[in-house]
Amino acid sequence: MNLKVVKDVLVITALKSLPDLKRQPLVMFLVGMISSLPLYFIIVFGADISYGLIGAMVSTISFIGMNAAIQDIAWDRYVKIREMIVAMPVHPIAYAMGIALAPLMISAPSLIFFVAVTMWLGVLTLSSLLWAAVSLILCWAALSSVGFLISTYLKKASPYTLNNLANILGIGLGFIPPVYYPEEMLGSFSWIAAVFPTSNTASLIRVYSGSLSLPFEMVVMRWLILVATTIVFAVLTISKARWREN
Amino acid sequence: MDAVKSSNLVKVYYSKEAVEALKGVNISIRKGELFTLLGPNGAGKTTFLRIISTQLFPTKGGAYVLGYDVLAQPNEVRKHIAVVPQDVATYGNFTPLEYAYYFSLLRGMTKHEAKVAAKKALEAVELWDLRNRTCRTLSGGEKKRAIIASALSSDADIFMLDEPTSGLDAVARRNVWAVLREMVEQGKTILLTTHIMEEAEMVSDRLVIMHMGTAIAEGTPEEIKRLAKEKFRVVVEGDLNSLGLVENGSRVVKFGSKWIVYVRDEDEALGIVGTALKKGLKAETAPVTLEDVFVKLVGGETD
Repeated sequence: MNLKVVKDVLVITALKSLPDLKRQPLVMFLVGMISSLPLYFIIVFGADISYGLIGAMVSTISFIGMNAAIQDIAWDRYVKIREMIVAMPVHPIAYAMGIALAPLMISAPSLIFFVAVTMWLGVLTLSSLLWAAVSLILCWAALSSVGFLISTYLKKASPYTLNNLANILGIGLGFIPPVYYPEEMLGSFSWIAAVFPTSNTASLIRVYSGSLSLPFEMVVMRWLILVATTIVFAVLTISKARWREN
Repeated sequence: MDAVKSSNLVKVYYSKEAVEALKGVNISIRKGELFTLLGPNGAGKTTFLRIISTQLFPTKGGAYVLGYDVLAQPNEVRKHIAVVPQDVATYGNFTPLEYAYYFSLLRGMTKHEAKVAAKKALEAVELWDLRNRTCRTLSGGEKKRAIIASALSSDADIFMLDEPTSGLDAVARRNVWAVLREMVEQGKTILLTTHIMEEAEMVSDRLVIMHMGTAIAEGTPEEIKRLAKEKFRVVVEGDLNSLGLVENGSRVVKFGSKWIVYVRDEDEALGIVGTALKKGLKAETAPVTLEDVFVKLVGGETD
């Protein structure tokens, strides 16, 4: 990756986030607020708040990754910015990374807030935060790649259709698998947690926070699944996404 | 060396059935000229522009920009072009300055160079005073000029604009024309697509008329107009039959109560006007327009 690509990633990230942050600053709380919703119920019903906080972090990442990738690409196509950028000396990877990083920047305050509260309550320590951060980054990369893939395959879908799809998938992946609740609740189906990048990430963070106990081999297996999922979706995106159309 | 050259360019879209959008198009655009692709909707103008600007693969044939092969050397091509797509919209939260500045950075400029280029481009399209207004508060013409400025700030050698004035009012359209001609005066090459005849006639150095994926005529607006055997048109309002023009073989087109009679020379045209006026009809004559020739060439006229 040369310097121009790195610079373009930063420019596209800035282009896709700073004007929104500057003129609609409330947008930075939007994803965090949606992700916090289950937290209120967890507090009201007296359940373990650490599940809610970890769930809110993962679900924020889920929205940011997949949802934002689909929506941004769809709208870029709609307003034709994408066509203008394709005809510039900009590498497609720089565009994709910029598009994926921009919503991360927009939602960073929410994410930082959740991390801060989690640490303040002692759910995560400084060393477990490192593992949590790595798993969250992998989850974000995997879901961004899924977002790019969907957008690539549904080229002719309207931005509205893609918006709806993104919301359904974002909510589905964030709320249905064991992201806000312990995977043990699924009993013999607890393996489902390993299948989805969101619940897998949530389980791994719980392992490092001490609220979930898994054998060492199982933890390694969960990491391998998360890394493999990310690599598979990233490779699929790189191989299927085309800068120039046929 | 030509700024843009295509040889036997073919594009077939495959969906439920194959649609041949370009059927072997050969076009050469010289450096420093404003060249227009003129044609009705579906003629292949946008397809041609998208292939040349490295956004779309051709099915067959070759295309070159400043000698670089658009298929084999897209990155070289992209360094020299800037594109304004058809029906381009703006992000409401962006300002014209942000558009021009960020796009300049993506061209590889430093922050200082980008600021200077953005200022120059916005001044050229007379948007500097509105540089910090968000696009959602701008008029349609101002938004379009903001997008043109973002392309202009790139300082590319070749600008490709796909129907940049569609949807604009007459004043805004003329503003855009002035900007385009100014760019040509500065030595830039412009490839423009339009279906607006007046636009093609007013701004083009040369143009090609495209119809159903084929280039059917190429030249300056004057050269294209000379392709018609009739050089003058007479517009008559009233009962044309009393003039006996249909019987003498003149090409006549009817629009409601008005008739357009196409004739070969000015004397003949003035003769018809004189006769019509004597019979109490309204009549006026003028040289044929590009639109007259275009309609004749693409065969969309009812004689």
